[in-house]
This record gives sequence, C-alpha cells and structure tokens, in this order.
Amino acid sequence: MSRETPMYGRREARGGGLWSGDGQTVPYSGESYYGRPALKPSHYRWLITGYLFAGGLAGASQIIATVADLVGRRGDRGVVRAGRYVALLGALVSPIFLILDLHTPKRWYNMMRIFRSSSPMSIGSWTLAAFGTLSGVAATGQVLEDLTAARVGRWTARLAGIPAAVAGAVMSCYTGSLLSATSVPFWAAVYRLLPPLFGTSAMSTAAAATSLAIDAAGAGEHARRSMEKIALVASTGELALTLACDWEWRRRGAATPLNEHPKVGLAYRFGVLGLGIVVPLFIHAIQTLTGRRSATATRLASISALVGGFIQRAVLTFGGNSSAARAEDYLRFTQPGQEVSGNGRAGQRVLA
Amino acid sequence: MSAVNYAETELQDARSRVHLEGHPVHPLPVPERALQYRESILAGIIPHEAELTAGVTITPGQSYGFFTDTSLCIGCKACEVACKEWNNLPADEIGLTGQSYDNTGRLSALTWRHVEFIEQPGRATSMPAFQSHWLMMSDVCKHCANAGCLEACPTGALFRTEFDTVVVQQDVCNGCGYCVPSCPFGVIETNKLDGKAHKCTLCYDRLKGGLEPACAKSCPTNSIQFGPLDDLTRRAEQRVKDLHALGVDNAYLYGTRGGPGATGGIGRLNAFFLLLDRPEAYNLPAAPTLPSTRVRSGLLAGLATMAGLTLAAVAAFAAGRRDR
Repeated sequence: MSRETPMYGRREARGGGLWSGDGQTVPYSGESYYGRPALKPSHYRWLITGYLFAGGLAGASQIIATVADLVGRRGDRGVVRAGRYVALLGALVSPIFLILDLHTPKRWYNMMRIFRSSSPMSIGSWTLAAFGTLSGVAATGQVLEDLTAARVGRWTARLAGIPAAVAGAVMSCYTGSLLSATSVPFWAAVYRLLPPLFGTSAMSTAAAATSLAIDAAGAGEHARRSMEKIALVASTGELALTLACDWEWRRRGAATPLNEHPKVGLAYRFGVLGLGIVVPLFIHAIQTLTGRRSATATRLASISALVGGFIQRAVLTFGGNSSAARAEDYLRFTQPGQEVSGNGRAGQRVLA
Repeated sequence: MSAVNYAETELQDARSRVHLEGHPVHPLPVPERALQYRESILAGIIPHEAELTAGVTITPGQSYGFFTDTSLCIGCKACEVACKEWNNLPADEIGLTGQSYDNTGRLSALTWRHVEFIEQPGRATSMPAFQSHWLMMSDVCKHCANAGCLEACPTGALFRTEFDTVVVQQDVCNGCGYCVPSCPFGVIETNKLDGKAHKCTLCYDRLKGGLEPACAKSCPTNSIQFGPLDDLTRRAEQRVKDLHALGVDNAYLYGTRGGPGATGGIGRLNAFFLLLDRPEAYNLPAAPTLPSTRVRSGLLAGLATMAGLTLAAVAAFAAGRRDR
C-alpha cells in the first residue's frame, strides 16, 4: 500500500506551486474543479434497492429451507415449506426489478451473452438465473408434496434445493461486491465488509420472513426456537459488521452521506441501526435469555428486521449516489497511499 | 504551377521553424505525399489520411492513444466541436455555468471532449509570460489499459478494439448502467434518450478508415496529439524535459506507466495528459484504483460469512434433535 509521494513536476523546483520547498508535494487540501462531481453517480434507485433486499432475502430463505429439510425435525416441515415459497417469490420478483431498471429492458437477454468474472453484475446475472431455475424446481416439488404428499415431491425439492441453497449463498452476499467493485467512495471503502454485511442482513430478513410465515401457519416450538436462534446470530453479526463499516467509513473519509445527507443520515440511525438491528436483537436476546417467548414480540422483531433491512439497502444505494457526487470525497479517497485496492489480479493485462 | 510553388514554400517554411527564438520546437514531419492533394475539393477520401495530418500510419494491432498537452491548450474548444460534428452528438444543457468559459461543464453521454478552464489566483496583479495563470485542459475518456468500465460490463458491449482503445457496441449495450459508477474518472454515462452507455470511441470509425481522430485533427496548437502509444510517450517525456528547461517546473505527465493516474491496477492511460497543477485541480484522481480488484476478496469474505451462518442454522435445527 505504501507508495512514494507522486512527482508533480520537477523535484528541484524550489517552493511555489505544487512544491513546499523541502522536496515534498503540498498535501491535498480539498480543491476540485468548481466542486463538480469527479465521478458519475449510478442511476440505481428504488428498483435496485428492492432487488438488493428481495434477492438477498430469497437466497438466505433457500438456505434456511434446505438446512431445515436436511437436519430439522418432522415438526420443522413448515420452515421448509415457507423457505421454499419465500425463495420462489424472491426469485420471481428479482428479475422483474432488474429488467425494469435497465435503460433498454428488451435487451435483458444480453446479460446471458457472456460471463465475466471481473463483473459482479455478470456473476449476479448468472447466479440469479441458476437460483431462479433451481428455486422454481424446488418450489414445484414442494407444491407436489403439499398437495399429494408424494415422496417424489419431497425428493425433487431436496435435490433442487441443495444447489439452490448454494446459489442462494451467492445471492445473499454478492450484491455487496456489486456496490463495492465501483469507484464510489461510500461503497468502495468497505469492499471487504459489505458482502458479509449484506449476507448477515439477508439471513436476518429471511429468518424474519420465514418466522412470520410459520407463525401464520402455526408451527411447532422447535421450529420457532430454531428461527429465533438464527435471527439472533444473524443480527449479532449484522451489528458487528455495521459498526465495522461505520469505523471504516470514518477512517477513509467516506462517511459524508451519513453525516451530511439529512435523509440518509436519519434513515441510517433509526432505520438501519434501530429497526434493523437493535430492536430485533433486543427482543431475541431477552427471549433467549429468559426462555419466555411472546408471539407478539417475535412478530414485532420480525417486522422490524424486515423494514430495517429494506432501509439498509436504500441507505447504501442512495448514500453511494450522494458520495459519488461529492468531488472532494473522491479526490481525497484516491490520495496516494490511501488507495483501496484488492489483490489486483482480477483478469488484468500484463503490460509489455 | 503556382499551387505547387505555394505548397513547397509552405513546406520550406515549416522546416525552417524548427528552432523558435532558441526554444526547441518539435514539429511533426510534413510528408511529401501532401503535395498530391492540392485541390480544395477532393475526389474521394485520402488513403491513410493520418499520415498527412498526424504523421501516423494507422495499423490494426498497435496501441493508439492521445497525448493531451495542456501547456499548449488555448481553450478554443475546436476539439469539442469537431467531436460533436463527427459523431453527430447534440448539445447537452444550454446555459451559463458561471464557471469561467466552461459552459460545457462535464464529459457526458453526449459530450466526449470537454475543455476545462481554470483561472488561477494572482492573475490580476502579475501576469507571467506563461499562459497568464490560466489553465485549460481538454478532458477525454482515458482508454485505460485495464478499464474499469470494460471489466464491469456484463454484456460484453464494452470491448477492446484492435487499436487498443475501449468502445461501447451500441447494438449490444442494454443500459444496465454498471459501467457508470465503475469508471474511476467519471467519464462514461448512460443516455436516457436511447437507453445506452456512451463515451469517446477514440474515433473508432475514423481509425478504421485511416483517419486521425476528429479532435486531434482539429486541434490548432497540437495540444491534442494522436499516435502510437510508444511514440506519444517519448514525445511527451521530451516535452516535459523541454518545459522544465524553460522554467515551467510544474509540468508532469498524468497517466503514463508508474505515474499519477495510472495506479491501483489500471496500468496506464492510453489517453494521457501533461498537467501544470495537481491532478485534483483538474478533477482528476491522483491515485485511482481499478474497481474490479475489489471483487474477489469481498466475495470470498461474503461466502465465508454465508458458510458460517449456514453452520449456525444447522446447529439451531439440530439442537434437541434426539428427543424427536
């Protein structure tokens, strides 16, 4: 990471201009070209927010369903059923959101023209295609099992569900890479933290959705307790990763959307931290510690986690656009020695 | 006969100006073949016209680029106009920005050359001979060796041409817009009117026809130079040395290998610049990074997290399983 001070002009130059006279470049003090944005913000708004939420939720739901199917009790079948249907629902709405967001929607199939490992958008397109297909087969098996109680239904769902859960794991977290593999300071600063953060959030929202579904269908005590444990672990992880992101944003000077954009800041504090993490974590922790459970409190925790999870995706989407529009943020973010660069091996050319 | 004499006089004249008031000048060679095209209206296009206008024989498989020497820019915007005319691009917003003579404002889907005007303090009281403290710079797509936009493109619409430039295939692009925040220089943009991403093509069509890019051809001061990358780099390095010798200590190259602008896995910029102030003054990042270098580690961290959460789910459902 350490890099020499850049040579802006002749080193022998004595004072004036870019040189302080002691052989050092004058440090960056916030100048830009009339404050005009040095980056172009993305056009991503509510449709992409919706996809970041629904895609992750669907992916993690398939994981919950598959785990409940393979290691759960007979009484946990409700979790399997709910997880499979939530995953299908998410897999159905996700491509709609994504295609509607394209500027030329009728050419959506060009996403399937190539595979590019350096592009999370390409990775995601193929993952969503695989996840959608497998989730469709799994849900069909589930319908068959529900309607006819045929063994073939359960086995179809199980065989499709395992690879669907693997694709679901990618679905849960790759969107973090989608945002952070850009030049936008607010996204790029947390490139190692954002995929895990989206993953934990996907799991906590999936647990919340599944929990609400089994609550409505009347599930057993073991299923409820399992869902609570998953929600507790996911929310704890989400809290830790949010705090880590917060620290990283501040350290890299990329926190301005949270501090200076009034709506984003408010949504972050009350929506992401409050509704998304603190409220569900508090309820689940109290219920786990005391061993006493209230159906109403669990429902409240689930709804709160879902709303907070959606707000989190919105804060990340709109915060990134606000960050990209701030020239000083980007020009400071790209000062020598501060570069946020990964392993630098992603499909790069070796220059002669 | 008079036309021939006139052209020959011009040639002699150009050759005699190699040293101007003792300052080194590096004129492009004027090829003899220029004499074959004396008519005002030509019968057809000149084969390999770039040989006459830029001294370059355009050959597929070679790396081409721009060397934009801001010390020569006079802010005439001929490049902006030539680009708009050749590429048939409409105007962006019409109006005054209040920012010096820059009413163009920025590179966009419809503006592929943008002349910046930076009026520096001290101009009113002292007017040193050099450009009167008024910096001008014609900005353009950098045609990065490792291009963030290209590596982000999921459809393959963005591709690298046989001239080592980066171009959007308009018949493939579906306007997903992911290249837009990926570009480390804020160049590429989607156009709502046609729903595709657009940027400078380094006049891909002209290069294929043996013509120099429109902006470079129209540049009256040779601030924009087109040519093979090795040749351009050599010329640029010599120009920096010459400027230093003239006392312009602040001159430096932005975007050549190992220099500012060509950091973080980007490698080098095929369109590079000679700048006279720090990069940020021109809205250029000092040390940008290639966004796709952030994919692998982030994705692996995410998948590891999902593996951990799955194990937690297994533990949750397996707990108390014996009393089934």
